[in-house]
Amino acid sequence: MSQLLQLFYRIRHFFLFIFFELISIWLLVQNNNYWGVSYFNSSNYYIAKSLEASRSLTEYIDLKDVNKSLVMENIDLKKRLVRLQQADTNPTGLYKPDSVFASRFDFKVAKVVKNTINLTNNYLTIDMGSLDGIEPGMGVIGPQGIVGQVKSCSEHFSIVYSILHSRFSVSSEVLNQKLREEEVQALGIGKWDGSNPRYFKLTTIDRFKPIIKGDSVVTSEQNSIFPSKTMVGKVSDIKVGRDNAFFDIDVKLSTDFSSVTYVYVVENRLTAEQKRLEESITEN
Amino acid sequence: MKTQTISKTVLTFLLFMILQLLVFRNIVIQDYAFCFMYIACILLLPNELSQTWVIPISFLVGLIIDIFYDTAGVHASACVLISYLRTYIVQFLFPNRGLETDVVLSINGMGTERFVRYIFIMTLIHHTLLFFVEAGTFQFFVVTIIKIVSSVLVTTFTIVLLHVVFRGVQHR
Repeated sequence: MSQLLQLFYRIRHFFLFIFFELISIWLLVQNNNYWGVSYFNSSNYYIAKSLEASRSLTEYIDLKDVNKSLVMENIDLKKRLVRLQQADTNPTGLYKPDSVFASRFDFKVAKVVKNTINLTNNYLTIDMGSLDGIEPGMGVIGPQGIVGQVKSCSEHFSIVYSILHSRFSVSSEVLNQKLREEEVQALGIGKWDGSNPRYFKLTTIDRFKPIIKGDSVVTSEQNSIFPSKTMVGKVSDIKVGRDNAFFDIDVKLSTDFSSVTYVYVVENRLTAEQKRLEESITEN
Repeated sequence: MKTQTISKTVLTFLLFMILQLLVFRNIVIQDYAFCFMYIACILLLPNELSQTWVIPISFLVGLIIDIFYDTAGVHASACVLISYLRTYIVQFLFPNRGLETDVVLSINGMGTERFVRYIFIMTLIHHTLLFFVEAGTFQFFVVTIIKIVSSVLVTTFTIVLLHVVFRGVQHR
């Protein structure tokens, strides 16, 4: 008997080994059966917290890729949204745009490499040029709203008129519930007055339209460079102008020009056709 | 055992675990080469420490890694295996030494060649069991073999490198 005990004592490490191996195998099997219920996985509160902490340290390394993929996703969504909006401009059903017209807009992502906001005439420089299919005259919008229009292109870069430019104006429309109920449109011309890069002036809306503070200002339908209903900003102040006929509206721009990084260049495939047609009138 | 040895061991232990969980967990080369350098915790435990301690410690190490990797039991079983085989491998590498406790498990105590061989053999055993258990079948045999070979190389290299670097830090 004592010899047997001695033998057991001599191979006690083997028993220890077997014991822990069995526990491991039990864990393995149990974990396979009840996936995620077990206590021994990363759903444990403290484990998850520490993993989260380590992730937050390395997170910024991936930011560039994450950003890129988000921008790509955005452009795809934007394309679909604009196509839907353009196909469904008038819910009464009397007018139905054909699909070529509805899908006339195409988008390209570009990165802003230079940007000014404090001059009277501000320009942005973007990292895409004629080789990427950018042409002068195309509209440029940002994630929050309109940005400007392409002025000129080199092979790899383009200069863009910012809407913070003394000679840039955009046909805009004010939207609110009341206007929609009365089925009237409040169209006006938006222009920057050159003082504050966060505000924009909207004129030529007659003073009997029911406009209040906080209404959205978007691009109108009569616009060939921007898709209609692209955000411009929000009404922040309304005054009656000097001539007593029109409102003098201050619009807070939705795009923060001091921090614009990615922009979408809007290509309207039908611009050339439209221009040709309009020019043929003036010639005759 | 001296207090100095214990404190040094505990420090190395924590360092290797933290490195594994925070840094090397994120490093996988080409989806094949994993770096499980944490096994250095087990491989470099003082040789005079009895197996009665080494085996439970190894199980614990494996379990902690498992919890972070969501692979309950996989690392633990591989760790327990190498902790059990550790003594025999050391005996195999130093057949002339009568008492196994004479060997100091470090690059100084064993000589570079033996040390690298020791790490390599242990890593190979650990990774072979680990990847086959993880795969669960022999179905992905070739893929598993590629994983084992590349991971063994990466892990061995990392452990030897870290060992040399830390030794350099200690000697300064």
